[in-house]
Amino acid sequence: MSREDTLQILAGFIRDVIGDEWDDDMEVAFDTSFSDDLELESIEFVALAESVQAHFGDHVDFVGWISNLELDQIIALTVGEVVDFVESCR
Amino acid sequence: MPLIELPDLRVHALSMGEGPPVLCLHGLLLGSLAQWYFTLAPALATRQTVWMADLRGHGRSSRPSTGYDLATLRADVAGLLDAVAVAEPIDLVGHSYGGLVALTFAMQHPGRVRRLVLVDLPLPPGDAGVFDIAENAGPEELLAMLPEAVREAVLGGGRRARRLVEGIRALVQDTTLLADVRSEPRLTDAQIAGVSASTLLVFGETSACRPAAERLTQCLPNSRLSIVPGGHFVPVESPQLLTSTIVEFLHG
Repeated sequence: MSREDTLQILAGFIRDVIGDEWDDDMEVAFDTSFSDDLELESIEFVALAESVQAHFGDHVDFVGWISNLELDQIIALTVGEVVDFVESCR
Repeated sequence: MPLIELPDLRVHALSMGEGPPVLCLHGLLLGSLAQWYFTLAPALATRQTVWMADLRGHGRSSRPSTGYDLATLRADVAGLLDAVAVAEPIDLVGHSYGGLVALTFAMQHPGRVRRLVLVDLPLPPGDAGVFDIAENAGPEELLAMLPEAVREAVLGGGRRARRLVEGIRALVQDTTLLADVRSEPRLTDAQIAGVSASTLLVFGETSACRPAAERLTQCLPNSRLSIVPGGHFVPVESPQLLTSTIVEFLHG
């Protein structure tokens, strides 16, 4: 699976999490920021984490990875960084 | 999304890890299970099954128009534990009103609670200073009361700010939450002293809830107190210190 494939999977999860508020002007790319661009609420980020964990399985410890980041790192997190993390677990 | 059906409520609840159960409860208005999910929960999940739930009206749980009193919130907790088949005594962690739910749950169901962690809870319940201040404050004072991350989201405008403000508006205007908080009966010292569970108290140094720390320390026979820097929103202001303090108490 390529980086692009992983991006598309994450983009699908993000659209599901945002739900009715998804706007077709919104774009999910490698440099899209969860905080500044998508304005994900913390409870939405939890839903995303649950989707990532359920899809990729226990060997992708997404929550454990996030829990080791500082708050400002979490706020600045981009979709591409999550893609790279998922890829690094393969 | 794991939603559990109770008679008048859909509870959004998640679990992490395996082992003796612990349930984490957030505070009213600004809280959700997200405040535990990336910090306390993974740390406790190394040895315990960590349950987290959104209280009624909060996070991804449904928002009934009534039932924000402690008796109903306790019944929600009991209903949740029954629904997920947790029958053994649990550790209960609660911040703010979630702490009051935890404390009074331990009074009502002593056999169901193993240990308590009470974080910056208001006493007496109906005198929750945060709510009283909120009612009389102007917009600038209200903003100043919020934890920094939330304040920045509000000031940033946009989707997240709209959702945050709409969530609070709906709870305050479309539900009995404020009236329920205000009419909550006082807890007597004797009632509090009846809780025998080993208890960790954590309070923010500059929090309006600080007077409760001394009273709880005096009344609870089996408690210890930890004061951390910052104000009322300890799980957001000092997540790492709170996590290490709780992990030391529960796993130390």
